[in-house]
Amino acid sequence: MIPIEYWLIFSSLLLAIGAYGVLTRKNAIVVLMCIEIMLNAANINLVAFSSYYSTLHPAFGTDASGQVFALFSIAIAAAEVAVGLAILLSVYRRYQTIDVDKINIMRW
Amino acid sequence: MNWLELAWLIPVAPFAAFLLIALMPKRTLGWEDGCGYAIAGAGTALALSALVIWEVINGNTLTVDSPRFTWLIIGDTTVTFGIWIDQLTALMLLVVSVVGTLVVVYSAGYMHHEGPTRRRYYAEIMLFISVMYGLVLADNYLEMFVFWELVGLCSYLLIGFWYERPTAASAAKRAFIVTRVGDIMFMAGIIILLKYVGNLDFATLFEGGATAHIPSNMLTLSTALIFGGAIGKSAQFPLHEWLPDAMEGPTTVSALIHAATMVKAGVYLVARSYPLLVQSPESLLFVAIIGGVTAIVAASCALAANDIKRVLAYSTISQLGYMILGLGAGGYLVFELHNTSGYTAATFHLMNHAFFKALLFLCAGSVIHAVGTNDMRLMGGLRKKMKITSMTMLIGALAIAGVPPLSGFWSKDEVLAAVWHAGEFDWAFTVLWALGIATAFMTAFYMFRMWFMTFAGEQRSEFHAHESPKTMTVPLMILAGLAIVSGFALFIGDGFKVFMGGAIEGLVPGAHHESVVDVAVEIFTDPLTYVSLVLAVAGIVLAYRMYYMPGFDRSVFARGVPGTVQKALENRWYISKFYDDFAYKVWYGFSLLTDLFDRYVIDGMVNGFAYLAVRWSAIIRKGQSGNVQRYTSLIVVGIIVLLLFMLYVVPWGGW
Repeated sequence: MIPIEYWLIFSSLLLAIGAYGVLTRKNAIVVLMCIEIMLNAANINLVAFSSYYSTLHPAFGTDASGQVFALFSIAIAAAEVAVGLAILLSVYRRYQTIDVDKINIMRW
Repeated sequence: MNWLELAWLIPVAPFAAFLLIALMPKRTLGWEDGCGYAIAGAGTALALSALVIWEVINGNTLTVDSPRFTWLIIGDTTVTFGIWIDQLTALMLLVVSVVGTLVVVYSAGYMHHEGPTRRRYYAEIMLFISVMYGLVLADNYLEMFVFWELVGLCSYLLIGFWYERPTAASAAKRAFIVTRVGDIMFMAGIIILLKYVGNLDFATLFEGGATAHIPSNMLTLSTALIFGGAIGKSAQFPLHEWLPDAMEGPTTVSALIHAATMVKAGVYLVARSYPLLVQSPESLLFVAIIGGVTAIVAASCALAANDIKRVLAYSTISQLGYMILGLGAGGYLVFELHNTSGYTAATFHLMNHAFFKALLFLCAGSVIHAVGTNDMRLMGGLRKKMKITSMTMLIGALAIAGVPPLSGFWSKDEVLAAVWHAGEFDWAFTVLWALGIATAFMTAFYMFRMWFMTFAGEQRSEFHAHESPKTMTVPLMILAGLAIVSGFALFIGDGFKVFMGGAIEGLVPGAHHESVVDVAVEIFTDPLTYVSLVLAVAGIVLAYRMYYMPGFDRSVFARGVPGTVQKALENRWYISKFYDDFAYKVWYGFSLLTDLFDRYVIDGMVNGFAYLAVRWSAIIRKGQSGNVQRYTSLIVVGIIVLLLFMLYVVPWGGW
């Protein structure tokens, strides 16, 4: 059994890597991928705590709700990617670029 | 079967007629564009009223234990709607039902030439009759106030019936706005009562203990404010100028609303509030003074008016002043002598006046119908052409002038006697009595001035007068009959005084009931009766001398002191002019100031804030760069700051 701290450190690292990517990369597809990494960090947390819960309270038996949440989250992430890519596709068609620095028409 | 329990049906009948006339298709209106429905509605109400009045004459009333339904519950306050039938209600029902029905019948002839707008006329007049019954039957102040406003609305609509005339439209507005001043006072008065008693039911308020919760100065204020409602509605000085202007409406409306019923609502209100009023002598004195001043001011204005309807309008105001004066003086008699004679005299005058004044107005309507003008200077010589009208109008004029045995003599004399007796307790009443007796003289004079100018002498302009149709002359004859006999109510059965005294018997425990013979003896042995009689005859003779006999030089009124007085009278003592000047100059100046304040201070503040918002937004909108990564980094920084705050600052502070 791997202690919970390891999982938490791992997911924090994933989140930080994802956030760094979102903040620095110019390519919108890479930004989208980094968002996925951040989401998966959250999923790992859910699963980790789900397993940790049954270790902490053996009397209650196992509780799968954290894992179920993770499944939902993955499904939603898939939908989000579909929408995100579709947006990027139409942005590219209009501006011939997916550089997030250049797409700044939503401003004052 | 107890007819009193069914009294709530009385207003329903005219209301049903109103709905039928106003909402049904045009081709169902039938005779005279709805007059048939109107007569049916008014007639049903008349029949029901007669049954109710019969029950009341037999000694049955329905006051404290009448059926009620709950209308509103606000916190601890419950507002109910119910009916309240005592002798005073019966009296008002009699007036409204008889005059209302006769006026509707008369309208069939008078409004014949109006064409399709008659539908609006009959609908509005039915609505008026319905809400007037509601006002009379109301059993609490709030219910009364609701109907009070509704009669005001109907009055507005009917004065402005010929709304395409600018004078009628502005007269309607004036009537509505001026009476509104009184209505606000009325509302303030009942709010004070609600605050201290917590209930507006007559049943609670008129019971002895209820007013114990009210500090005496607040009771005075509240009763004076309730009387303020009467000042507006009954056109008392200084709010009386709307009534002469209200003559812009059809004459039938003037007869019904502005002579016989709605303007009586103020007198009715004062009479209804008697159990409260008699506990506050200051208010009673105020009531009496307003009444006396109104009586003489309005009578003097009638002396010089040339419009036949305006003469009658001023006369109405003056007679309403009489009633108010009688009620004010009667209150003193109630608490000083346990004597109801002032109250009965005023209500008696209310009834008689409704009949003879409606008669006079309808006669004037008949004359206007024939001649086509309101100006008496253009009439003259109508006696031979309009025999019925001239005779009935003569009866009305004799009745109001106080010539025995017509009705006005009895009631006017009773009112003056009550005021004279109240003079024993406050010298002000003696002065008011003098005003009243002077008014009696003027009344006789201006009434016969009007009659002589209209019917006697030579025709003074081109017109082809003819007697009015039957639908108009029959109501005139019925009203003339009532104007002759209604005064004898004083001597029928136990007599009117005992009957009306029943309405306030709770206030005068153990009062002595005068027998009919006592009343008659009292009237004919009192020297004051002969004083007023002599003055009435003198007034008639003076009018005969000035306006009938040839050779009277009226040019004395063109110059000198009489000229000034004449001019003042023709300008209605400049009261109307004062209001106009006040509105045009003082109030307009004030409005200009407030306009400036509004434009520069209020608008300045609003515009200033808008300007600040614009400038501030111009600065901070630069933050919205459109760069997603900058937004994201701000979110991350924000989360980090929040985390640091929660992890270090919050525990450190010990929250």
